[in-house]
Amino acid sequence: MGGAGVEVGSRDRPCKWVQLPPSGPHTDQHGSQPWEDPGPAHTDGSVSHPQCAGEEDWVDSRTVYVGHREPPPGAEAYIPQRYPDNRIVSSKYTFWNFVPKNLFEQFRRVANFYFLIIFLVQLIIDTPTSPVTSGLPLFFVITVTAIKQGYEDWLRHKADNAMNQCPVHFVQHGRLVRKQSRKLRVGDIVLVKEDETFPCDLIFLSSSRADGTCHVTTASLDGESSHKTHYAVQDTKGFHSEEDIDSLHATIECEQPQPDLYKFVGRINVYNDQNDPVVRPLGSENLLLRGATLKNTEKIFGVAIYTGMETKMALNYQSKSQKRSAVEKSMNTFLIVYLCILISKALVNTVLKYVWQSTPFQDEPWYSRKTEAERQRSLFLRAFTDFLAFMVLFNYIIPVSMYVTVEMQKFLGSYFITWDNEMFDEELGEGPLVNTSDLNEELGQVEYVFTDKTGTLTENNMEFRECCVEGRVCAPHAVCNGQALPDASATDMIDASPGASGREREELFFRALCLCHTIQVKDDEEVDGPQKSPDSGKRSAYISSSPDEVALVEGIQRFGFTYLRLKDNYMELLNRDNDVERFELLEILSFDSVRRRMSVIVKSAAGEIYLFCKGADSSIFPRVIEGKVDQIRSRVERNAVEGLRTLCVAYKRLVPEEYEGICKLLQAARVALQDRDKKLAEVYEQIETDLVLLGATAVEDRLQEKAADTIEALQKAGIKVWVLTGDKMETAAATCYACKLFRRNTQLLEVTTKRLEEHSLHDVLFELSKTVLRCSASLTRDNFSGLSADMQDYGLIIDGAALSLIMKPREDGSSSNYRELFLDICRNCSAVLCCRMAPLQKAQIVKLIKFSKEHPITLAIGDGANDVSMILEAHVGIGVIGKEGRQAARNSDYAIPKFKHLKKMLLVHGHFYYIRISELVQYFFYKNVCFIFPQFLYQFFCGFSQQTLYDTAYLTLYNISFTSLPILLYSLMEQHVAMDTLKRDPALYRDIAKNALLRWRAFIYWTLLGLFDALVFFFGAYFMFENTTVTSNGQIMTSNTHVVFGNWTFGTLVFTVMVFTVTLKLALDTHYWTWINHFVIWGSLLFYVVFSLLWGGVVWPFLSYQRMYYVFIQLLSSGPAWLAIVLLVTVSLLPDVLKKVLCRQLWPSAIERVQTRNQCLSVEQPTVFMLSQTSSSLTF
Amino acid sequence: MAMNYNAKDEVDGGPPCPPGGTAKTRRPDNTAFKQQRLPAWQPILTAGTVLPTFFIIGLIFIPIGIGIFVTSNNIREIENPSKECEPYRRNEDKPIAPCGAIANSMFNDTLELFQVGNASDLMPITLKKKGIAWWTDKNVKFRNPPGTDPLEERFKGTTKPVNWVKPVYMLDSDEDNNGFINEDFIVWMRTAALPTFRKLYRLIERKNDLHPTLPAGRYYLNITYNYPVHSFDGRKRMILSTISWMGGKNPFLGIAYITIGSISFLLGVVLLVINHKYRNSSNTADITI
Repeated sequence: MGGAGVEVGSRDRPCKWVQLPPSGPHTDQHGSQPWEDPGPAHTDGSVSHPQCAGEEDWVDSRTVYVGHREPPPGAEAYIPQRYPDNRIVSSKYTFWNFVPKNLFEQFRRVANFYFLIIFLVQLIIDTPTSPVTSGLPLFFVITVTAIKQGYEDWLRHKADNAMNQCPVHFVQHGRLVRKQSRKLRVGDIVLVKEDETFPCDLIFLSSSRADGTCHVTTASLDGESSHKTHYAVQDTKGFHSEEDIDSLHATIECEQPQPDLYKFVGRINVYNDQNDPVVRPLGSENLLLRGATLKNTEKIFGVAIYTGMETKMALNYQSKSQKRSAVEKSMNTFLIVYLCILISKALVNTVLKYVWQSTPFQDEPWYSRKTEAERQRSLFLRAFTDFLAFMVLFNYIIPVSMYVTVEMQKFLGSYFITWDNEMFDEELGEGPLVNTSDLNEELGQVEYVFTDKTGTLTENNMEFRECCVEGRVCAPHAVCNGQALPDASATDMIDASPGASGREREELFFRALCLCHTIQVKDDEEVDGPQKSPDSGKRSAYISSSPDEVALVEGIQRFGFTYLRLKDNYMELLNRDNDVERFELLEILSFDSVRRRMSVIVKSAAGEIYLFCKGADSSIFPRVIEGKVDQIRSRVERNAVEGLRTLCVAYKRLVPEEYEGICKLLQAARVALQDRDKKLAEVYEQIETDLVLLGATAVEDRLQEKAADTIEALQKAGIKVWVLTGDKMETAAATCYACKLFRRNTQLLEVTTKRLEEHSLHDVLFELSKTVLRCSASLTRDNFSGLSADMQDYGLIIDGAALSLIMKPREDGSSSNYRELFLDICRNCSAVLCCRMAPLQKAQIVKLIKFSKEHPITLAIGDGANDVSMILEAHVGIGVIGKEGRQAARNSDYAIPKFKHLKKMLLVHGHFYYIRISELVQYFFYKNVCFIFPQFLYQFFCGFSQQTLYDTAYLTLYNISFTSLPILLYSLMEQHVAMDTLKRDPALYRDIAKNALLRWRAFIYWTLLGLFDALVFFFGAYFMFENTTVTSNGQIMTSNTHVVFGNWTFGTLVFTVMVFTVTLKLALDTHYWTWINHFVIWGSLLFYVVFSLLWGGVVWPFLSYQRMYYVFIQLLSSGPAWLAIVLLVTVSLLPDVLKKVLCRQLWPSAIERVQTRNQCLSVEQPTVFMLSQTSSSLTF
Repeated sequence: MAMNYNAKDEVDGGPPCPPGGTAKTRRPDNTAFKQQRLPAWQPILTAGTVLPTFFIIGLIFIPIGIGIFVTSNNIREIENPSKECEPYRRNEDKPIAPCGAIANSMFNDTLELFQVGNASDLMPITLKKKGIAWWTDKNVKFRNPPGTDPLEERFKGTTKPVNWVKPVYMLDSDEDNNGFINEDFIVWMRTAALPTFRKLYRLIERKNDLHPTLPAGRYYLNITYNYPVHSFDGRKRMILSTISWMGGKNPFLGIAYITIGSISFLLGVVLLVINHKYRNSSNTADITI
């Protein structure tokens, strides 16, 4: 089996498509390398080389030999080009490169690299501390991460394999062969059966349907669940069997893969017996995309043109880059600050050491001679070694344990999301999923929410709500989805007895709805269809590109009219009396988005000719001359505001002469060679006039439960909500109204293709920005006068085409102008709706906002495969666990069952995680400043000799055990405000917006606090030792043990004060004291004491020195030491307590106010709660 | 570069094989912990809450017990640790005992105190040499080489530290205060924390409660100068001090306590005023939220 041929070249001859076939094939004459530009290579004698519209835009092209058959003799030898096979690769590592690649990636993290360096330095030079102290934790961290990533990659491998080994049928030598999907090559002819997913991008050759069409649903690609019709190539649609198709001799030329799902250009050359190929253009209607599913068609044949990672679907997935939260970024910045502090500390000490040693007697006093080796070492080398030694001495200022704790906090903390009962959905039987725990805190920082519409805001489930005939409202009294419809009983059509003519109108209205559509009835349902009761699962029987039509036709079944089928150009329907009525279908004036209506012309059995027209209210009302326009109009407007999708129905009766005229007009327009569409539109315009208004319908795409409530809460929380949808504008706008994103008083600004046809983009944007800026000016005024409630708010609607215009860089490179302008407008709009968005465009919008100058935190939420790119692009991607496909959920960072869960996710969990982790980060830096700064100060009193202040055990265990658990538990348990309060008061979310707790001010405060505390510890102990003979546990106890305290006692005193201060500081910050907090905080202090007693109480045989022997016990047996500990702890904590009290009293934040209020409330209750003063506001 | 393309997605899209249809009812437990609704612990003294205290006491006492037990079984000679001895490990091919820079620099002036009597005669005052080091240091941490031979024999094969006048086995005549367990040596080995430091040298014991330990009068101090400090600009001082349970004279703690106490008091007053002044306004603010 030969490889597929290819031709890559640039086309430089723009010519119109000509029907004349060329005389030869189009391979490159020179047989040059395919990637070379062959120039005007097609000198094969064809008079006019055919080129399809848009072909001149091809960047590159490929030639595919259908079934790997080479073109007939006369063609030049083709150069086989290797295409990727159909393998999907999402895994990152292979078995072999895992260790080096993973290690490399891990050490690219600044922190890991830093620890590695420290570890190596400790190994190489003679340092005051053991290499184990930094090596062991690092090893632990690296190993755990590697195991986790390896496991994840293994899962990806498994998923890839499952996909790549899926069986695919393809045709080989006239027979059907079953092979694994990954073995599929470009040029293979593939057989796809009903309900199967296309294994790669295919050109549709033939179908089991006689007309060469097939239906496809692209729900998992772009979210549109409707069925789309695709067409087989005209010249190949007759090849129905494997043998036939195998005899097909054709080549396909097409562009190289592009990510745009809706665009495709190519052409097919079919070589018939005459040897003159027939050339046909190929468009996106001939292309079947990987990921789409074949529906309602038994089987199709197609030829693979893009495979594997080159399919449009794969190209639409962006590579998943590692997302990092704002907190992590701040953490890294702080880390760099501390690194600078560390280096400068080490530098200062090194310099001072040599200054100090410049006097000879201090360089080498009689009591401290140097070794020979030391004397011989060069000054520079000695200085450098000293510098490194100081670095190692102070390296604890950036502790490995911080990263371990942060990782653990994130990992363990994310379980609280998974465990949340309120976010569990009974219907799905699933709760939220956490795919990345790295972003928990980012949920508390969201400023923009980008949401998909269909399936996210709405249920994606069209439902007929009501119709309004002649001004009377009729609602089906059936129960929908187990929920009684409101309003249903209010105006029932049976109750209000219409007059005879009214009744006639009413029936005409239903007939109109029954007939005016393009629905197909699924074949196999046809057999027993009519006999079925109207409500029993007929939904699947109707197929249409518009779900609204289906909803309508289904809806009117409840009024007794059932559409049965279209047979031999007769539409059959079952009326109220269960009689079959037949209407001859004369013409269909199909729907288009400019007219926004469609019509049918039918002939009743009685010979009367009707034109039924159905369309948007704005396109129907101007053409109506009769009917209860005002009543219907008011009803339609009411419905529109409620977010229902409304359509108006009108009719007119045609006398045969009129129909004749219409026929002629239509015929003339249809055969027109030029401007056919325009002419047709004109004719339609002429026909659809002087209508009689019958009524209006309302269809609901039911909103998800509490969608409006959620959006309202998000907006109150200061989050901007944007809706990005592939749906059309009217529908999307209706949904926006329904979910209260647009309100009644919202002024809508439109940047749509329609508007851009009339004005230039420039004008539109400038005009809008003027309007909006006026508004924002008045907004600030209003804020001053306190009238902001009535201010005008704006909603922006933009569609995909307009967006791409804005995004497109202009020739002169001044593209940023429009973008800035656009962003300006967006910023001042309370809500933005983007419709007709391609998946990548959604991501583009997110990116645009993400990189705008404020760098806001964005969140994207969606349920379909079309949302994946934006989910990946946004800072936080949330997938709604959809009914169809879980692609979004799987690619997201978090998945939730329903849109409404977003509220708790952000307002409660996000808020908690943010305050937890920010405290964690700040506290960690704080406690290590406390830890290391005394060490630094001590160098000034020990001749810069790198003498450690604390014992090695203390150095190692300080971060690992003495002070680790309290902060970890704090960062898991803390709830500064009750959950219910956070939910009730979304505005509290604003309190922590913009990374409020990790700004420079907060960071500097914590660092200064750490410095202050360190000074207190060190100089407190210093004065104790300097001014007194701290020597005694004295005569009162045992008269003869007079004690001398040495340097280790000094260090231990500092250390003890420090452990107590640092732990109590956390205790002061804790607002939520569960038994776990008590246990851990008091437990750590106790552990420290017990450990110290034990460590100093025993001569440990494995230690080479016993410098800590009895030090702690002797310290505790000294009265002054106790006094000093109490004193120094108090002094250290005092400023922070003072600051807290003052801030709360004088400049309380919203959160603090709520806390105080809750405190008051709970204090008022005369219960035992009063006992626990610190926690009373939060516990109950 | 890896594309983020999850192949599995398509699998569920089509009819084939949704993997492992495990039990779908995975409703999380409705426990207070998992729902983050744990109550705060309110300490009430019941048997249940006191119980942990017993455990804690146990936790403290048992390790201490173990510690003492291990210690008493572990009494041994403290060997010269290798690393800390350099560059004073060997001299003239013999190991130095005790090795290391700290031992080498041991203070070796001799101070003698005399009371000048009426007739200018000098009455020596007994300076007690023993009891100046930690009991544990003397009895557990520092041991002489084992054996029953005279100390000199036991230290055979070693040499004295470079700057010492006498070898280690001649530090004192008292067998119980000689060699490694010489208390001056032990005191010296407990390195001072700061460059200016005091070390306990001798004790002057009060003979009886009627007489002061050192009655008013003239005293004579005889110093045998062995320890050079001029080379590094050092100074020596001898301090005679009384001690209470507080140790020696201790102005720092007292002053600090008074200062901090005063500051706290002052702050309390300030806070009281602020609280009184702002309470009304903050309360109203609460209501408007």
